[in-house]
Order: sequence, then C-alpha cells, then structure tokens
Amino acid sequence: MTENSSFMSGLPELAILRLLQDQEMYGYEIVQAIALRTGAVVSPGEGVIYPLLQGLEKSGALKSRRKTVSGRSRVYYSLTAKGAKRLGLLSGRWNDLNGAVTALMAGGALGVR
Amino acid sequence: MGFADLRERLLRGGVAPRHVRRYLRELNEHLDDLTAQQHQAGYDGEDAAMRARARLGGDDELAAAMLAQKRFRSWTARAPWAVFLFLPPIAAIAIGFLFIGSTVLIGKYFGFLGRHASLPPHWFQLLATDLVAACNLTAVPLSAILFVAIAGRQRLKLIWPLAATLVLLLLFIHSDVDFALHGKSRLMVGAAPLFARDGLRMLAGNWPSSVAQYVLTLLPLLWLWRRRLAKV
Repeated sequence: MTENSSFMSGLPELAILRLLQDQEMYGYEIVQAIALRTGAVVSPGEGVIYPLLQGLEKSGALKSRRKTVSGRSRVYYSLTAKGAKRLGLLSGRWNDLNGAVTALMAGGALGVR
Repeated sequence: MGFADLRERLLRGGVAPRHVRRYLRELNEHLDDLTAQQHQAGYDGEDAAMRARARLGGDDELAAAMLAQKRFRSWTARAPWAVFLFLPPIAAIAIGFLFIGSTVLIGKYFGFLGRHASLPPHWFQLLATDLVAACNLTAVPLSAILFVAIAGRQRLKLIWPLAATLVLLLLFIHSDVDFALHGKSRLMVGAAPLFARDGLRMLAGNWPSSVAQYVLTLLPLLWLWRRRLAKV
C-alpha cells in the first residue's frame, strides 16, 4: 500500500524519465510535452518541475548541461544509465498497477466465497 | 513580479544558496518562455506577464516544491552547531598557515630555515615578524567575516554567528616567531584557550594587537546585527 502511494506521487518522475528517454529537453519543453501527451490532465504549476529535475539530477538519474540555442541559454536534461534503470522499474510498477486497476474496473463475478 | 519573496522563503527554509540561485534562474528562463507564448497568443504587456506568472505557479506552490526536497538543504541548516562551533577555529588556523607557510617558503628558498642554518638576516626577521603580526591581526577576523557572511547569506539566526565569534575569541588563535642559531628558529600557529594560563599570558604580553584582533573580530557580527535591525 505504501509502495503504491509513493508510486502515485512519483507519476511526474515517471513522465520526466520517459520523455527524456527519447531526447534531451529543457524544463519548459518537458512541461509542454507532458501537458500535450496527457491532454493537460497532468499539469501542475509549471515551475514545480525544477526541484524534481534537480533532485533527479542529484540522485544520478539525469544529467544536465547549459546550451545556447537560437540565442537562448537553457539547461538541457538527459537520461543517464541509472535513470534508464529507474525508468524501467517505475514503468514495470505502473504496468502492474494499470493492469490491476483495469481488472478491477472490468467488474464481473468474483469467483470467491 | 520577481522572485525576491520566494528567494527569502527558500533561504529561510534552509535551502542551500546555490540551489536557490539555480532554481530562480531556471524559473526566470521558464517565465520568459511562457511570456513569449502569451505574446504569441495575442496578449501583451502586463497582461501577458501576469498570465505567464500564473501558469508558472504561485510562490506557495513553488516554495513547497523546493522545500520538500530535503537533499537541497544546506549544511548550516542541517547541522548549524557543527558549522558554527567547529569550523571557525579550523578556518582561522588554515588562514594562519597561509601566512606562516609563505614565510617558511621564503625562508627555505633562501636557506634561512635549514637544520644547520645560521641566524637569518635582519630583513627576513623583519618580514617574518611583520607577517606573523599580520596573521595575528587578520586570521581570526577573516574567519569571523567568513562565518558571519555565511549566516547572513543563509538568513540564519544571529545566535550562530555569535557562537562562531565567541569560539574564535575564546580560543585566542595566535601565531608566533622566534629566531635562534643552529636551526632553532621557529614559526608556529596555534590556539591557546583564554581560560588556560598560556592564553592569558599571551594576551597580556601582546595586548595592543590582541585588542585590535578582538575588535576586528567583533565588527562583522555588529555589522550583521545592525543590518538585521535596519530591516525590522
């Protein structure tokens, strides 16, 4: 139960790791991508993503570099090997939970007495 | 529309200044992107800025997100007693070693401080004595400045820089130089607690420089105290 609760609160972390699996991105890009892909269902105050990004970087799941593109200097984040491992773990847990909820919502006879 | 309040809240909450600086920089950059997006959407001036700021999140939300990450807390917030009681004497002794070390290097370079060296020339004795005097006058005050600055920057209670200053004053960190024949010359830096007999003897023997050292050590704390009073 505790693990599932912490997992649910780790949803933004899962989203960030998944997005950065494909390419390096900066904070604004990540927020826009999350909103786009989730149909804005997951859309916290946009600035709160930065403590999360910095926390993931500190734990070794992400690395960052400052890059100037079109005259704008921004911090770009990318996934590390440790981050990829963490993504695999979180994805597995998410799939388990997703399967459990789908089965639960499908309803039907319980088959137990 | 800036982040001055958020910055104060994070620093008072114990977040390390470097993490605060980075957070605010990234927020500013994000805000620029949001504002540009609002301009593209047809909003202008104050309207665009306000809408962008609303999307970024309120100060409460932004502060809570950072404060929740305990790993960003500074050492002064986690263990202020360790930082302000143990590190100031170490810093003062380290600064002292810089002075003494440079004197020793010069002495060794010219062969004045070898095992069988004769009495160093007058100019070196004078230089060494002046460097030691400068060390006595500045090492402890510089350490006090450092720890008062840390406390000021991280918005800590005045009790911590006060503790650091008192430790420095009580330990009476002092350097000394003595020249003698046949490699018996010595340069030293050390601490002689004021409550010990040696400490009181050294204090009495060098009272003009000791008084100056004490006054200079107290000044940073008084400056911080006045600054805090002015802000109230």
